[in-house]
Amino acid sequence: MAYAYLFKYIIIGDTGVGKSCLLLQFTDKRFQPVHDLTIGVEFGARMITIDGKQIKLQIWDTAGQEAFRSITRSYYRGAAGALLVYDITRRDTFNHLTTWLEDARQHSNSNMVIMLIGNKSDLESRREVKKEEGEAFAREHGLVFMETSAKTAANVEEAFINTAKEIYEKIQEGVFDINNEANGIKIGPQHSTAGGASGAGGAGAGGAAGGGCC
Amino acid sequence: MLSRFSDVLQTAADVLAPPATRLEDFEYHWKMILNFYQNYDENNKLHIEETRIPHHLHQMLQLIVDEEKEQHGGTVGPCMEAIVQRSICLLDALCALCAAERPPGARALALTTGTALLRRTRQPCVNSAHVYRPLQRMLIQCNESPASPTEKEEVELLLTLCGLVRKEPGLANIFTTPFVEDKSTLLSIPEDIQKLIPIRSKIQTPKKNPLFEVELPPNPLRNVSIIRTGKDDVCNATSSSSVDDNVSCKSHKTVYDDNDKFLLIDLLLSYLNSADNQVVLRACEGIMIVSSLPEDDIANLVTSCSPACETIVEKLAAKYKCVPANVDPSDVDHLNITWAYVAQDFGDKSYSKFNGYRELTSFFSWLDYCDTLMKECHPTIAAHLSRTFRQNFLEGTAEAGITDIHHAVLVTAILAKCLKVVDSPDLINEFSNWLVGDGEVSEWPLLHTLINNCLTENHDLTLETLRFFETIIEKGTEHSIQRVVLARVTSRGYRASPPAPDEDERDRLNDLSIGREREYNREAMKQLQHEDHVNEQITDILSHEGLDPKHHDEGTENIHRVINSFLLLLPRAILSDPVGADYEHYIHDAHRRYQYWLDTTASFGWPHDHGWVDTTASSTHSYDSRPEADIHLDEAFHTKHNAKDHKFSQKLVLRTRDLTSQSEEDFDEGPFFKMIFKLLSNLPTQPYQVNLHLTSIISQLALLPHPNLHEYLLNPMLPTAKKTPTLFKTLQEVAKRLTMEIPRLRNYKKIIENTRQCLMSEDPNYDESGDHNQLVESLIVLEEFCKELAAIAFVKYQHTLHMQR
Repeated sequence: MAYAYLFKYIIIGDTGVGKSCLLLQFTDKRFQPVHDLTIGVEFGARMITIDGKQIKLQIWDTAGQEAFRSITRSYYRGAAGALLVYDITRRDTFNHLTTWLEDARQHSNSNMVIMLIGNKSDLESRREVKKEEGEAFAREHGLVFMETSAKTAANVEEAFINTAKEIYEKIQEGVFDINNEANGIKIGPQHSTAGGASGAGGAGAGGAAGGGCC
Repeated sequence: MLSRFSDVLQTAADVLAPPATRLEDFEYHWKMILNFYQNYDENNKLHIEETRIPHHLHQMLQLIVDEEKEQHGGTVGPCMEAIVQRSICLLDALCALCAAERPPGARALALTTGTALLRRTRQPCVNSAHVYRPLQRMLIQCNESPASPTEKEEVELLLTLCGLVRKEPGLANIFTTPFVEDKSTLLSIPEDIQKLIPIRSKIQTPKKNPLFEVELPPNPLRNVSIIRTGKDDVCNATSSSSVDDNVSCKSHKTVYDDNDKFLLIDLLLSYLNSADNQVVLRACEGIMIVSSLPEDDIANLVTSCSPACETIVEKLAAKYKCVPANVDPSDVDHLNITWAYVAQDFGDKSYSKFNGYRELTSFFSWLDYCDTLMKECHPTIAAHLSRTFRQNFLEGTAEAGITDIHHAVLVTAILAKCLKVVDSPDLINEFSNWLVGDGEVSEWPLLHTLINNCLTENHDLTLETLRFFETIIEKGTEHSIQRVVLARVTSRGYRASPPAPDEDERDRLNDLSIGREREYNREAMKQLQHEDHVNEQITDILSHEGLDPKHHDEGTENIHRVINSFLLLLPRAILSDPVGADYEHYIHDAHRRYQYWLDTTASFGWPHDHGWVDTTASSTHSYDSRPEADIHLDEAFHTKHNAKDHKFSQKLVLRTRDLTSQSEEDFDEGPFFKMIFKLLSNLPTQPYQVNLHLTSIISQLALLPHPNLHEYLLNPMLPTAKKTPTLFKTLQEVAKRLTMEIPRLRNYKKIIENTRQCLMSEDPNYDESGDHNQLVESLIVLEEFCKELAAIAFVKYQHTLHMQR
């Protein structure tokens, strides 16, 4: 299907916080309580509309287990957005956020939009992490924050779409170089002729400037 | 009557009887599956999804998952026990389904069921022979028919096993020689299973499978294990069943014979050639998971008992060979490829930006995989893989292209990009050593070829090779920088004995005779004002750093002179930007880059400045001779008499000779600097792009925190023998030439202004338009380059001060 832009996302966070469920809820609008353990990385895609433009989201759902971290790291580079997920009913998953964030910041491009997600908001009675704590963490590290429930679908759409909006805004502001694929953004096929031509020319001039003289 | 009574009793018993146990349910579903196959009609065309088989398998799986939830302390429930003891040979049955593919779709179902069993249970007891053997068989059987429609399911099962091995490295044993049976056994279905599931196997005669090119021993030993594990096998230790060959806790084997195999990796490798990018991706992930295990034994298995590294590099070479020869070399540099995303991108048919895009993407994504693998994997594998990369790709495949006139430009562009994108220290090391030679070899043909390629008439080749050198320095290792750059300067042979301070020289700026001469000419006045202005600027910058040049601190005075030398190299009249407003920008840039080099070379064991500042009479920062920069250029400019200029040069030469003690031998700056200086002296006749990259290389070299190199490149007052070429002498020559030639252009000031505007506007069409003036372009390059060098000298000096404080 034709799209104006394609954004690449990754979902990261400890094992069992509901990453795969968030993806399934977003792409298939369903909840599956029993899910196979993710090994390596799973993939999902969906089309959304922002500002009247069709945007294709490609989402890579990564394995939370330490054992697969070597693979997860390969996906940081080249992603435009990341959903960093913890489980509000498990304090340890919140405590590990710093490690995740460091890993992400170290391996991704500096413009990657990171959305902090406190998942399982339907399990209020078992809550271990206050909403305020999530907000404070997000504020401190410059992230957008949201509590979601993959089970009830609360805020799931918003989480993915708000991340996309933020990326879209950064494109409008010219922060992202959309011709550099390492940024996790691709211009859609209908734009590709015009975009490709100007991209090649622009890159040529950029190369000259990068040479160090001008 | 009696029978009636017994009927009632029976009914009562039925009512009172407890519901079927989980194991009974499990047996029920098992029997239903066997029943189906006992009565299976080969002519039946029903797909397996239309039968009850998926339902029964799902139920059996669910029962195992449910019973596990109730188990405590790592014990195994009765259903799983039935599998481990093979009283219910579910896994063997799956294997038979896989082989027979009856009804259609059975193979995929068997594979996904096996995968689900391993993924959903916490203890799938894979180290039990009754679990791992059927799994092995299943995988081997599937592997017999490459490019089968179930590749995806096959590689998923493999990846799942990799995940299990990652969590319990001891499990790697089940894929090694003593525990892998010979091929015919692996391809046959046990007789008891054939009776239970009486369908003919689809696979009859084993094809030639590379996995079995080496014949496996017919009677596998049961007692040798390659992998040591610390913890006991939970499954076996606590289960009531006794599994005869527990593979996890055996003795350590370190000697491999030719027949040793690591089946897990071998199987993964066989999927690398799949046409389905997703399958390849999964196989890549599997290889990465296993290779990144910290166990030395597993790493040795990968390097000694599997062709993993060789296969991976072979694939890289194959992809390299697929790149069309007519790719535009300038397209290569703009690619940014992440291996993991390419599988998805390639599904997009429009994924082709220019000629050769897919092939280049495919090649660079595989290179990215190799690089990532080397960063993540065990050091033994990284070392082996990088050696293989050098031998089989760089030496075996790419090297010939550098000397091939028709392909050298593209080959150089690709190799430069390769070096630019790789990040793994092992790979960078091997790459650099391939380029510059190992150890202390005196001549290295490849390096000479590259240097010569810079000096050909072909500007495209010069440009790409310069880019390559830029990257070689950027990615420089201690060894490669030593070989290319430092080899000749470490002796300080470029340096003549320090001359005695010459008081007259020091006062030259106030030299009345020259001052008087200047007054004859208004341009000279302007030049003088310009010099004053530059001096003020420098003073500003220095005092901004808390250095007051009025304090006659020797260091401050010297740096003032160095900066002066560079900034006043070109006379004001031909400067395109006499104000030098962007000088701050260069300082900022130099700061950033110098910090990078300080960090990068921190471990290099290079001498520090201070080390020999104290022991020698003169040093980097104690400049004994004065800058000659501004002597002759303005002279040359307003006299325009070659003869006079010539005489003046001679005067300079004589002076230098006077001050120089006899050096025994002429200094040889080596082939690399020879090339750099040669190109630099050709600045006025070379294309803009070539000059940009050339000056970029030199500024990079000037940034390197090595005292000798610093002195050689950034000390314009360095006393040298007459024939010793230096950066500053070369720059002076170029400046002289430009000063002579440019004013001869009609309306030259306007041309300079326009050219500057065009270059700064970064108009992409500028390069293509024919009417640009190469000579003036080179002037602007030189002008900016001088600012850059001055900034670098300043930043390095500033750093030394900070260190001293």
